[in-house]
Amino acid sequence: MAGAGGGGCPAGGNDLQWCFSQVKGAVDEDVAEADIISTVEFNYSGDLLATGDKGGRVVIFQREQENKSRPHSRGEYNVYSTFQSHEPEFDYLKSLEIEEKINKIRWLPQQNAAHFLLSTNDKTIKLWKISERDKRAEGYNLKDEDGRLRDPFRITALRVPILKPMDLMVEASPRRIFANAHTYHINSISVNSDHETYLSADDLRINLWHLEITDRSFNIVDIKPANMEELTEVITAAELHPLQCNVFVYSSSKGTVRLCDMRASALCDRHAKFFEEPEDPSSRSFFSEIISSISDVKFSHSGRYMMTRDYLSVKVWDLNMESRPVETHQVHEYLRGKLCSLYENDCVFDKFECCWNGPDSAIMTGSYNNFFRMFDRNTRRDVTLEASRESSRPRASLKPRRVCPGGRRKKDEISVDSLDFNKKILHTAWHPADNVIAVAATNNLYIFQDKVN
Amino acid sequence: MECALDAQSLISISLRKIHSSRTQRGGIKLHKNLLVSYVLRNARQLYLSERYAELYRRQQQQQQQQPPHQQHQHLAYAAPGMPASAADFGPLQLGGCGETEAREPAARHQLHQLHQLHQLHLQQQLHQHQHPAPRSCAAATAGAPAGGTGALSELPGCAALQPPHGAPHRGQPLEPLQPGPAPLPPPAPAALCPRDPRASGACSAPSVPPGATPQAAAAASAPASPAPASSPGFYRVAYPAPSDFGVHCSSQTTVLDLDTHVVTTVENGYLHQDCCASAHCPCCGQGAPGPGLASAAGCKRKYYPGQEEEEDDDEDGGDLGAEPPGGAPFAPCKRARFEDFCPDSSPDASNISNLISIFGSGFSGLVSRQPDSSEQPPPLNGQLCAKQALASLGAWTRAIVAF
Repeated sequence: MAGAGGGGCPAGGNDLQWCFSQVKGAVDEDVAEADIISTVEFNYSGDLLATGDKGGRVVIFQREQENKSRPHSRGEYNVYSTFQSHEPEFDYLKSLEIEEKINKIRWLPQQNAAHFLLSTNDKTIKLWKISERDKRAEGYNLKDEDGRLRDPFRITALRVPILKPMDLMVEASPRRIFANAHTYHINSISVNSDHETYLSADDLRINLWHLEITDRSFNIVDIKPANMEELTEVITAAELHPLQCNVFVYSSSKGTVRLCDMRASALCDRHAKFFEEPEDPSSRSFFSEIISSISDVKFSHSGRYMMTRDYLSVKVWDLNMESRPVETHQVHEYLRGKLCSLYENDCVFDKFECCWNGPDSAIMTGSYNNFFRMFDRNTRRDVTLEASRESSRPRASLKPRRVCPGGRRKKDEISVDSLDFNKKILHTAWHPADNVIAVAATNNLYIFQDKVN
Repeated sequence: MECALDAQSLISISLRKIHSSRTQRGGIKLHKNLLVSYVLRNARQLYLSERYAELYRRQQQQQQQQPPHQQHQHLAYAAPGMPASAADFGPLQLGGCGETEAREPAARHQLHQLHQLHQLHLQQQLHQHQHPAPRSCAAATAGAPAGGTGALSELPGCAALQPPHGAPHRGQPLEPLQPGPAPLPPPAPAALCPRDPRASGACSAPSVPPGATPQAAAAASAPASPAPASSPGFYRVAYPAPSDFGVHCSSQTTVLDLDTHVVTTVENGYLHQDCCASAHCPCCGQGAPGPGLASAAGCKRKYYPGQEEEEDDDEDGGDLGAEPPGGAPFAPCKRARFEDFCPDSSPDASNISNLISIFGSGFSGLVSRQPDSSEQPPPLNGQLCAKQALASLGAWTRAIVAF
């Protein structure tokens, strides 16, 4: 398959031994809603790891440089910056409250000393600049050391301010605010490979923005029917191709993916490719529409494949074949018989994300009971791991978990009925180059690494 | 798939979800509500089928004098789309007409209505799924059979939907399932009473051009319908022969019993039982069977839940159009009805029916507490007869307006 082999990294998740590295977040049993992590994203180099939460805050972790004297703390992530990205708002016209929850964070490629990221809630996208300040000017003429303005009549001499080192301060400042372009809830943002534009997608529309221009955006997809009574599907995720700046895909609640080429027309309502796997009629149920809804779509790093996540499975598609996926991996098929209760407690609406590893040889997605799953595409093996405080000793290896679908439960297996459906892993991220993964479990962020040899 | 919940519980759970989503922080989630509406539609299909079967069984018990083989003929289950020739059972069907007086009138009436309602639903589904989308067709057609093409092409509006004073509805003849210029759902309620072409004299309905499109719908349904012989028993429907009920407004459906492999052609009736006949429904407050129902006497009036009070307010209140003259006179009535039927009450059969009716009549209105001011307000705002809304299953189950 395409994708260069990662330098020195064995492929996938199964030849490796995954170990606990760190956990961030409070240990309390009582989790405040605002602390629930809603998005996790590594930047292009993997040195920065950003999380957004339901309270509208963004926390950025930075990987420490490897320290020869402490080889075991290889690349620990420590808090780099914290800021409030979005505040709750109220739309007076519609009498609607706009949640401050951060739906997505996407990093921009680094072009200078500062770091830029896009963060979005339901309605507004913001471009944040995160910069370091480690010097301070002293010796101003017009103001005192503590900042008070000096009386001009008291100034008798002039001096040149000098720069003095100071403790590192990381500042986050909003550089652009892209607002009022979406009527429905934004579910995705994606930075283009041209590093100048990006798209934002809500339930019915996709807009294309230029990073410099905030008062104008171009609508490139609009699936809103003339009569809302005829609505049959919504857009659930969208992403721009990692290499071709004119190509993007968007997934729908009907389990289909459309690939569009922006060169074809200004409004990409007509797709260039249509990816859909025919439904198996024998598995029809009350909830067929719900579980076929795609919750996430991700291109592979190579740009040749894409991955879709629906409720029970994750599928890998070859962009050259629209009729069916090239791989289908069952995440938690044992839940198929539980759809009724999962519908009752709303779990069936959970939107799980998925991610590729750097070489595109493995994929990862989350499940319930703080389980997450990794699938090795080459060896066709998969593993279930758990993010828990119990296995949080430093460098402790993660033991593979098994869920017993029913019947006799073997030792070390957990039965389906014992799964905790409140502990769900919706957001995971894989370091772009190394075997380091970040897993968001409610309000905790777990970082796992492969075993240091 | 094993499901511990039956259709009724699913419906009440779904309605509760939709109701609570209106007060959730962040506004109504369009995606979630759309998915809930799909579950609602699936559950309602099954619910209606089961009700139909139950009513039919009740009615069957009264038909003791019938020869056994004829009863057997009538006990048909709808196959997911297995059209068969109507000619197989022509004589029996026609023969049933003459025995109407022998039936118990209320049950007959109810079954008649339920069947017609279901048939209308089917027609709408087929119409709305004109291109074979595998999933949606599977859901749509699984619950009801694809009728013979001849039957579907003949869908004139029923005189029941004529305005009280005979003026054409909205200034144009009532047209069933016109997919043409207007989108489907607004005209759909006008098409609730498909007329038996054979009984054209009984109804003073305006003649409607059959149009290529209903036939196209019927034709399109053919490829779609054979889809799932899939979930056997999942969408079982029992269809009695509504010709027993002295139908004058009907069209034909042919069903195949999956168990006995008996083919039956069925005439469709009109559902009233789940709506205004119920004492629970204050919309037709008087509790009497609503006006304009497909009683044998002929349908003269347009049927609205609040017809009695609306008529005084507004001559044109009978407007079923896509552009309602403003929801103001109707919305309060609608909301009051909803208040009375707290979805948390235990779901007994008639309550569920009323919940469906109420939600159906103003689903988009209920979901969109404040219509998006920048967008066109959704149609179907409180104007619909609940029965009509119930019939327009496809329409309102997807009738979600987020804002």
